[in-house]
Amino acid sequence: MLRIVNLVLMLLTLVAVFALYTIKYDARQREARVQMQERDLEKLENYVAVLVAERAHLARPKALEPLARGLGLGPIAPRQYLRLEAAPAADPGR
Amino acid sequence: MRVLNASADRTRHALRRDAVAASLRPIRRRTLLTLAVLFACFVAVAVQLLRLGLRAEADLHLNLAEPIGQSWSRPDIVDRHGQLLATDVASHSLYADPQLVLDLDEVVEKVTGVLSSLDHAEVRRALADRSRRFAWIARGLTPRQAQLIHDLGLPGLAFRTELKRVYPLGLLAGHVLGTVNVDNKGLTGLERWLDEMGKVEAVQGPDRSEKPPLRLSLDVGVQHALGEELDDAVRRYSATGAAGLVLDLTCGEILAAASLPGADPARPADWLDLRYADKLMAGSFELGSVFKTLTVAMALETGLADLDTLYDVRRPLTIGAHTITDLHPSARPLSVRDIFLHSSNVGAGLIALEIGADRQRQFLGSLGLLEPLRTEAGLSATPQLPKHWGRIETVTISYGHGLAVAPLQLAAAMAAAITGAAVSPTFLAGEVRPEAKPLLAPATSARIREIWRLNVTSPVGTGRKADAEGYRVGGKTGTAEMPGRGGYQAKAVISSFIGAFPMDRPNYLTLVMLFEPEPVAGLAPGITAGLNAAPTTARIVHRIAPVLGVLPRLIGRSEPQQGPFDALSAAQ
Repeated sequence: MLRIVNLVLMLLTLVAVFALYTIKYDARQREARVQMQERDLEKLENYVAVLVAERAHLARPKALEPLARGLGLGPIAPRQYLRLEAAPAADPGR
Repeated sequence: MRVLNASADRTRHALRRDAVAASLRPIRRRTLLTLAVLFACFVAVAVQLLRLGLRAEADLHLNLAEPIGQSWSRPDIVDRHGQLLATDVASHSLYADPQLVLDLDEVVEKVTGVLSSLDHAEVRRALADRSRRFAWIARGLTPRQAQLIHDLGLPGLAFRTELKRVYPLGLLAGHVLGTVNVDNKGLTGLERWLDEMGKVEAVQGPDRSEKPPLRLSLDVGVQHALGEELDDAVRRYSATGAAGLVLDLTCGEILAAASLPGADPARPADWLDLRYADKLMAGSFELGSVFKTLTVAMALETGLADLDTLYDVRRPLTIGAHTITDLHPSARPLSVRDIFLHSSNVGAGLIALEIGADRQRQFLGSLGLLEPLRTEAGLSATPQLPKHWGRIETVTISYGHGLAVAPLQLAAAMAAAITGAAVSPTFLAGEVRPEAKPLLAPATSARIREIWRLNVTSPVGTGRKADAEGYRVGGKTGTAEMPGRGGYQAKAVISSFIGAFPMDRPNYLTLVMLFEPEPVAGLAPGITAGLNAAPTTARIVHRIAPVLGVLPRLIGRSEPQQGPFDALSAAQ
């Protein structure tokens, strides 16, 4: 009887050891995956930072001003302002 | 029978003992086996230890810890509207393990071939020391450079990814932003302030800061307009440099601050050249007649004079061996108002003599002109005070000579003069600030605003050309001869205009300084501020007022002009 109990216990231990190993292996794999994703995320964040910096560089006033001037734009001149009452009335039919 | 029984009992006992002994034997054997295995393990460990201990040359090397690639992650810097001014990006840095380098000459030659800015001898020195396991070769490489080095396939070279500070807008507001060193640590300007405030974190890799961005008071649009107009003025008047400032008078926030030639935050080495020094903060200058604003404010505040009090300025003012004269001496006594409008040195001197050295010193001290000014971008240059503050110094200081201050400091004092309250300039937006301390009586600052505007609208005012149509500019000109070898140089001047707009309720203070301007062919001859700094101010106000939401007021024009509006020609 005792031998059977021992055998069963041993079997259970083996199963437990195997289960533990599997869980640990799985945890390690997940950990590695998390680390990889974190690295990817960091890389993406850095790409985003570079893109944001590049966008700011492309939209710098020194680069935009000649383009705007080329389109005939410029600072608002004082005579471009109108009083509201001096503005032509809106045509409700349109 | 009893004897027989006893004998049988003994036999049974003996049999049982033998049976127990027989059953214990395998256990004992196993125990012995286990002990033997354990013993063997210990013996193996002992033998290995003995072997390691007895070996003459160990495989293990003790390497002293070298600091490897620690850098600093910094929060982004943005302008008041959130436009990016400085950020960290990951970049490749090249390092070497000198022990793994096979052919020193080949590595030095190929690496310096790709990275031409590297010093041949320096790379060789770094790689020649084979006791080291880590030596930086070049940091902050571009992706292309990193790829080229990688393609060389040289053993012993490797990359680390680390943070590098970049400034997407180039030189824009460079002096304010400051610089960082190769480890991303702040050296000057607001970058240094970030370090001092503990807003940076030490990192080993490209870990970007998670701190919220630092929001500056600067407005990129205003800053650009100021920089462009100053740049244009430098070309137009053949000046050696320029500086300018736009300050919000309601809260002391600096909307734009420029100093030309501009300094590139990405090239800290350039900053050692004095030509690139920040003229607003790092230099102190005698700024000439703009100081007369303070002299008049002093007279009004002390009650010694009002704007109509007359002073006899017909004769030069003589103090000991010194004689003070006016550029265009007046043939009649002038009121305080006229002294200001004609920018009479003699008149300012007479007013100052009446005030006296002590009160003058105390007044200038109360405006913060005798101590360096601290902002987030650092401490301004220390003011240069006269060694002895006597009668002649009192007179010269009244028209802006003999006392050299940082222009930003003077701008703060002028802001106080026209608002009546202390204004502390700041580069940060939206900070909760204590209520401004009143410094002058409301009547005094109202009179100053009056004469500033008059100086631009009056036909005799020196600042007539600063009048930006519709925007009610007021201010004071100053033309200060620069000190040189053997005294002041008549042809090398700093011309400046310090003004505000709209003068009916001043919201913004502007400062324009031009260094050593020259006369322009085809225009009125002369290098006085009224001919260069004043018109530059008008051009700046025309550009920035719409950005700042200041509406123009055009007198005598109620109807809009007919016909299509030509923006290009209007802008020109």
